[in-house]
Amino acid sequence: MYRYDEFDARLVRERIAEFRDQVERRIDGRLTEDQFKPLRLMNGVYLQLHAYMLRVAIPYGALRAEQMRMLATISEKYDRGYGHFTTRQNIQYNWPSLVDIPDILEELAAVEMHAIQTSGNCIRNVTADPFAGAAADELEDSRPWAEIIRQWSTLHPEFTFLPRKFKIAINGAAEDRAGIRVHDIGLQIVENEAGARGFEVWVGGGQGRTPRLARLVKDFVEPRDLLSYLTAILRVYNQHGRRDNLYKARIKILVDALGVEAFAGEVEEEWSYIREGELRLPESEILRIRSFFSSPSITDVSPVPEAGPAAFRHWLKHNRRDHQTAGLSSVVISLKPIGGTPGDATAGQMQVVADLTERYGFDEVRVTPDQNLVLPHVRNEDLFAVWTALVDAKLATANAGLATDIVACPGLDYCNLANARSIPVSQAISSTLEAEGLSEAAGEVTIKISGCINACGHHHVAAIGVLGVDKRGEEFYQITLGGAFGADASIGEIVGKGLAAEDVPGAIARILKSYLAQRQGDERLIDTLRRLGSDAFKEAIYADLAA
Amino acid sequence: MLTSQLDHQTRTLTDAQLAAGGGDIVTLNGADYWRDVQDRIEGAIQVDIEFDSFKDGRGFTLANQLRQRLGYAGRLRATGDIIPDQAGFLKRVGFDAIAPNRGDLAADWAKAEAQFSLAYQPANDRSATIVSLRERAGADLTQLNAKYREQDALEVLRDAIENTWKGRIAILSSFGAEAAIGLHLVSRVAPDTPVLFLDTGRLFAQTEQYQRELTDRLGLTNVRVIRPSEIEISAEDADGKLWSRNADACCDLRKVRPLEGVLGEYDALITGRKRFHGGDRLSLPLVERINGRIRVNPLSNWSAEEINAYFKRYDLPRHPLTEMGYASIGCWTCTAPASDDDVRSGRWSGQDKSECGIHRPSPLEAPVAAE
Repeated sequence: MYRYDEFDARLVRERIAEFRDQVERRIDGRLTEDQFKPLRLMNGVYLQLHAYMLRVAIPYGALRAEQMRMLATISEKYDRGYGHFTTRQNIQYNWPSLVDIPDILEELAAVEMHAIQTSGNCIRNVTADPFAGAAADELEDSRPWAEIIRQWSTLHPEFTFLPRKFKIAINGAAEDRAGIRVHDIGLQIVENEAGARGFEVWVGGGQGRTPRLARLVKDFVEPRDLLSYLTAILRVYNQHGRRDNLYKARIKILVDALGVEAFAGEVEEEWSYIREGELRLPESEILRIRSFFSSPSITDVSPVPEAGPAAFRHWLKHNRRDHQTAGLSSVVISLKPIGGTPGDATAGQMQVVADLTERYGFDEVRVTPDQNLVLPHVRNEDLFAVWTALVDAKLATANAGLATDIVACPGLDYCNLANARSIPVSQAISSTLEAEGLSEAAGEVTIKISGCINACGHHHVAAIGVLGVDKRGEEFYQITLGGAFGADASIGEIVGKGLAAEDVPGAIARILKSYLAQRQGDERLIDTLRRLGSDAFKEAIYADLAA
Repeated sequence: MLTSQLDHQTRTLTDAQLAAGGGDIVTLNGADYWRDVQDRIEGAIQVDIEFDSFKDGRGFTLANQLRQRLGYAGRLRATGDIIPDQAGFLKRVGFDAIAPNRGDLAADWAKAEAQFSLAYQPANDRSATIVSLRERAGADLTQLNAKYREQDALEVLRDAIENTWKGRIAILSSFGAEAAIGLHLVSRVAPDTPVLFLDTGRLFAQTEQYQRELTDRLGLTNVRVIRPSEIEISAEDADGKLWSRNADACCDLRKVRPLEGVLGEYDALITGRKRFHGGDRLSLPLVERINGRIRVNPLSNWSAEEINAYFKRYDLPRHPLTEMGYASIGCWTCTAPASDDDVRSGRWSGQDKSECGIHRPSPLEAPVAAE
């Protein structure tokens, strides 16, 4: 895990002092609300339906135990005793008061955390594989690069007032768990024919109202050139991205408009000018950052337990992942209790996770883009003890990757952009699927729910997506089918007309039953959807519904 | 410094320069593309870039391209809808003057400009980047190590305490088996140097007795006893047996976190660690950086014989437990007598643990190389 040095720490302190001052100037009128808004957003402060919301950055989703403990403390001291982990690997507090926020930021700084650029039209928190440094299918740990990008993008003088928000994802494994095809820039660590490592660069992916998969812009960028190449992309975007229409301002629209070749040409021209300049990463700095990120080495290698209570074995089956080091496993801590709110954790639960992180987790815990937590490094002989503690904390739901592992945005319960509620729909789907035994039976299934077209719940890239829409003051839900996140990413298709909230769980149950009836062998839902097309499920969705 | 200008001042300045055979003032808009303005800025002595909205950041890239791609070296002024909170950014992309729409906030502009002392990115105002500062700090450390290698421990401490980290340095002492050496050396330089003593609540009674004896004998006037938080103890070690369940967590609770609480007050800590202790200490440099803070290890290359000789020469009292075979002394819960050839073998014996963690960033991290 990265640790701040005196420079990182000083910059964060100076940023808090700046924000304290901005709050004061807003209060005495030297800053107008119009001026204050982008400034507070770039410190993670939103004005939601009922209150201010603070989004705290969890850079590339990685936390130490003391940081998790601090997140728990803040939720108790300044909020209502819980926090909400997001698809962008951050945490949100829904009820802080504005005057407390500078103090919260001070508390975060004490454990090397911040809320910088968690919102606003700037470069946001870098998304990374939550299993980085642990995954069995990894080529290279992406975290050092995510940290290098975090530093480069922090308070960038040229790219803090972009046309629109800007999100970067990086993946170093065979399977893409960071979603590089649905980010503004996706970086895939690759090895070229000469055996050298570098980055494949994908640009222009995104969800929202115009979902796009990122396009390949450069097949190999050398590590030392990473920051100059990123700068070239951002510079092209900052100059040419649209500013006349909020909905057409993301880089995906620019790539569409120019065409990927012309866009890549512009970037190349800009890059050729700056490539050999000061942005070239010194080898010493790469090594310095890398020295913080190692995986634990252990001496006593135990196998994964095969005995134990059935519930434990069931949990291992769904929530354990292979580790690159023999004797270790990664485990997913599901924040998706049946019928619960996806991504929420109470202060008590965060404390338990912090304790487990410290005691069994080599002081590392991650937040995933699926709104779960991961202990990336656990000794196999400690798995039972971890599970036991999770059971006591109601954190042992054995559903990682199953249909009840639902992703949902906060929706109309909190968000002032939403058209419809997401959380209650998610809760109802979860309860229905579990009651009918479908979560277990259907195996690997992704269900994601967004309360509006902005798609924070990532419904576009779910096998079954649910999109809340407002039709003449009533909440309706459209079903999309066939989306996927990851290496074979695809955007789901809308199937038929919207459903009322109470009809959604039944429709999804019928989709899964129809899949189980039609699947060939051990085909996953997404494979069946791709083979048969989404229309084959139309009847299932609308069966039993009054015309 | 960004020069704040009202329009009439600009005109005066420019008129004077024009009279001296200067050039033009060219006004661009933030939305202009740099390639399209190349002809227009030729011969200009001042370029104004007007911001229609402070939220439109194109002017930042335009300024940067003027400075870098077009090699424009004259005065570059930001005008229009800009706010004080952008002062640092404006300066770093290459502006050297401002004329904001709202003219009554000069104090806010000045304050905002001084808000940040550091930046990660290279910029046109030529301020050092954090990456270059790190390289420099690394180079400083290399130089310091080279210098200290030529000096004896007393000279190293004299430089560290009276010169390099004056007023920002403390010595960390366990008041254990070899602690008298470092403390004695420090007392010869400045007996009022802060001595940080971590009282874990699990120390041998003999250690507490020895601490009082040595403090008295060496005339140390600034011993700070640092204790773990009672609240954390009751939460994490209510039965007092944490050491037996998870020694790392116990060290963290009773040593690492209490020390972290006071670390912010010092830039550098003196330790008594030595290479002959083995394990991770085999490659211990004289000066190193851990989590951005300096550790000075003046005794790093001392041998066991040199230590004994120093004790004799200055007739320093020994820790009472050394007679019983304890060569390295921590908490009673996790310390046993040592084997002959390895002084630290009695610490957490039987466990794959050789350090408490106060000298390490975290269990997963390799320390940053200093040499």
